[in-house]
Amino acid sequence: MYDVVIIGSGPAGYVAAIRASQLGLKTACIEKSFDASGKAQLGGTCLNVGCIPSKALLDSSHRYSDALNHFSDHGIEISPPKLDIVKMMARKDQIVSQLTSGVSGLFKANKVTPIFGSAKVLNSNQIEVSLDGNTEIIETKNIVIASGSSPINIPVAPIDQQNIVDSTGALEFSAVPKTLGIIGAGVIGLELGSVWARLGSEVTILEAMDDFLPMADQKISKDVLREFNKQGLNINLGCKVTSAKPSAKNVKVSFDTKEGSSEITVNKLIVAVGRKPNTENLLGEDSGLSLDERGFIPVNDFCETSVKNIWAAGDVVRGPMLAHKASEEGIMVVERIAGKHAEMHYDLVPSVIYTHPEVAWVGKNEAELTEAGVEFQTGSFPFAASGRALASGESTGFVKVIADKKTDTILGVHAFGPSAADIVQQGVVAMEFGASAEDLGLTIFSHPTVSEALHEAAMAVNGQAIHIGNRKK
Amino acid sequence: MTTEIKSPTFPESVADGTIANWVKQEGEPVKQDEVIAEIETDKVVLEVVAPFDGIIVKIFKPAGEVVQSAELIAQFEQQTAQQEPVNEAKEPNKPAVTSTPVSSSSDAKENGPATKKLLKEHNLKAEEVSGSGKDGRITKADVVNHLEDAAPLSPAPATQSALAAPKTSAPSGRHEERVPMSRLRSTIAKRLLAVKQETAMLTTFNEVNLQPIKDLRAKFGKDFEAEHGVKLGFMGFFVLAAVHALKKFPVVNASIDGSDIVYHGYQDVGVAVSTDRGLVVPVIRDADNLGLADVEKSILDYSIKAKDGKLSMADMEGGTFTISNGGVFGSLLSTPILNAPQTAILGMHTIQDRPIAFNGEVVIRPMMYLAMSYDHRLLDGKEAVAFLIAIKDQLESPEKLLLNI
Repeated sequence: MYDVVIIGSGPAGYVAAIRASQLGLKTACIEKSFDASGKAQLGGTCLNVGCIPSKALLDSSHRYSDALNHFSDHGIEISPPKLDIVKMMARKDQIVSQLTSGVSGLFKANKVTPIFGSAKVLNSNQIEVSLDGNTEIIETKNIVIASGSSPINIPVAPIDQQNIVDSTGALEFSAVPKTLGIIGAGVIGLELGSVWARLGSEVTILEAMDDFLPMADQKISKDVLREFNKQGLNINLGCKVTSAKPSAKNVKVSFDTKEGSSEITVNKLIVAVGRKPNTENLLGEDSGLSLDERGFIPVNDFCETSVKNIWAAGDVVRGPMLAHKASEEGIMVVERIAGKHAEMHYDLVPSVIYTHPEVAWVGKNEAELTEAGVEFQTGSFPFAASGRALASGESTGFVKVIADKKTDTILGVHAFGPSAADIVQQGVVAMEFGASAEDLGLTIFSHPTVSEALHEAAMAVNGQAIHIGNRKK
Repeated sequence: MTTEIKSPTFPESVADGTIANWVKQEGEPVKQDEVIAEIETDKVVLEVVAPFDGIIVKIFKPAGEVVQSAELIAQFEQQTAQQEPVNEAKEPNKPAVTSTPVSSSSDAKENGPATKKLLKEHNLKAEEVSGSGKDGRITKADVVNHLEDAAPLSPAPATQSALAAPKTSAPSGRHEERVPMSRLRSTIAKRLLAVKQETAMLTTFNEVNLQPIKDLRAKFGKDFEAEHGVKLGFMGFFVLAAVHALKKFPVVNASIDGSDIVYHGYQDVGVAVSTDRGLVVPVIRDADNLGLADVEKSILDYSIKAKDGKLSMADMEGGTFTISNGGVFGSLLSTPILNAPQTAILGMHTIQDRPIAFNGEVVIRPMMYLAMSYDHRLLDGKEAVAFLIAIKDQLESPEKLLLNI
């Protein structure tokens, strides 16, 4: 009998398993994925087909694009760089393999038992695991469901993983498509669009909604849209795809706009309209669990399901589908199983788009605060006024700090620009400690760094920025 | 050597206590058995003394905090006489400096820079503001809100200290002050109200001529004091008269417990004593075994202890009957409230020279009204009245004490 059995070895599952074992719980982790060679594949979406491979390609493609377009800005003249896409993909695969075998090593080091096969929750103490027609019942005191999510498939553009692909397929192209269509201008669409645009694809993004990045700060959304169109992402809003017809080498994509129907023909089409929780064949009839109307497993703030001793964490429950949110939930769950006090600060889950420049934010934006009737003041600082950003030739974008008007408590940090994710992360730490904008202002920042933009933005909240004119209050 | 200082072990009847104050502060050197803290419970103030010569290294429970029985309240460093104080940050002999070092807070937790700045600008101590941040850290918002709560109605200029402004709520600008009830006060309030609500209380009155006792005191008072080292007062006579009457009427000495009547085979008489913290009732145990001098002595001991706040829990527990003396404040007549679960309480009042009829003549005598409140559930009017008359008879003929009649 295990103390905890975790279903899924992604960022929620493997992190929870390691922590559970550290806490002295007898722990097993079930994974159903195998790679092409039949080797068990730990790490979930993040390590195998998400965060890590996409970042590998984002970085490789950024270097290529830099060499192609910007070396000469620095007085470096080279003959046009040659792209070896096969080698670039092999590098990415090597990183993925290194990290997933790393998880396997961590399981060994922490005495987590990996179990391979598909899991079905029978009741709060039993899980059925099937592999190649054999089934086995695992007994446990607690169950953590961390089965993750998969790309949503839409009927108008069925995935064939040849010409019409999802985010997984988009990481596996063996050649750079000359023309590339993307359905969805969300985080995944923008990142994948960036990769292939840099490598030479002519990209067209079709977004059904009229608003671009509605969850981000409005000024950032506007600036990002302008910048990405400049980079060749060709973002079209309010375009509802009505059909996608693949032929041998092309896909004909039809869509409706306000002005009427239109169509484009592209070599490849990526469908990046979102992700859905993985719950197929997961819950036995007597498990006592049911799904909500969107297919998620309903949980409370502590990730407890309606059945005692069954917990769920990560993409399979409400909230943003982010690896770091999943990991924190995984840790919280097993800490609580071990009788410790742990809780999530859902207001402080940062969001990042790993484009270039990066887009990142944490906390509330101005529109949300206005709607909630909270009085606030803001301070912004453009990277164009940052010495370091200028020296690096990375002067696009700005940092914005939003603070409570009366108490000066930081309510949100938003950034678009170089190292935006790391700059916002400093805001997350400050906010976790209930810091005020003045606290950041009174903190020493190294010079010259792009982080200084956060320092100045925080000081600008109270009209005290040094390196830029302050708004009259 | 570091030792833990714990709150005393409270008796079962005491749920918890409040740190009334720290007599000694962190870093202050103390001698063995010196009082370092006072803990107020709903019955008495308990003293915490230093186990050896040494220094209080850290206080975990600041004044006002609720503590449980035998809970860790401070850390103590034992020191031998030769040793220099080890706690370098708290040199006790250093002259007072106006600007304190940055990390002078008793807490290891560091507050944020804006918080520290604002606290200094408003001359506030970190202890005065309750923190809402991680691990109880004080955020700037906490200070801003604290200042706003403490400020008078019109916004004060930032330089004005909001320190020590009491919480006022005065819609018309007239002063009002709101302070929390002390534990003793709130216990008194709760218990008195409960008695009013849960018993069938009524009061019977009588009056007593104290001339015979006055004569006795005039005649033997000096000898008594020389012999016993304590003055011959009135209270001793009242206690013994009560004991005598209680033996005669055991039901007055009884109490109700659920649906049972508990008859006590002993007479433990509580004597209400007023202190500046409130009314307390130390109990004279086995009063039936005591002589007049013993009773007077224990009353004197108790009143000294009560004034110094040193009554122990054991001094106050139990009691089968209570005597309350409103007379010391000049009261002519009042109705005392029962000391639950006792069945009766005797109220003494001021002694007043009054004309009375005595053997067919109007004479002036030192008279005192007596009031006895009793629980009518257990005591019938007839017994109650007879009990009070028994006390009156004893007091008017003190020689009966000698004869035990």
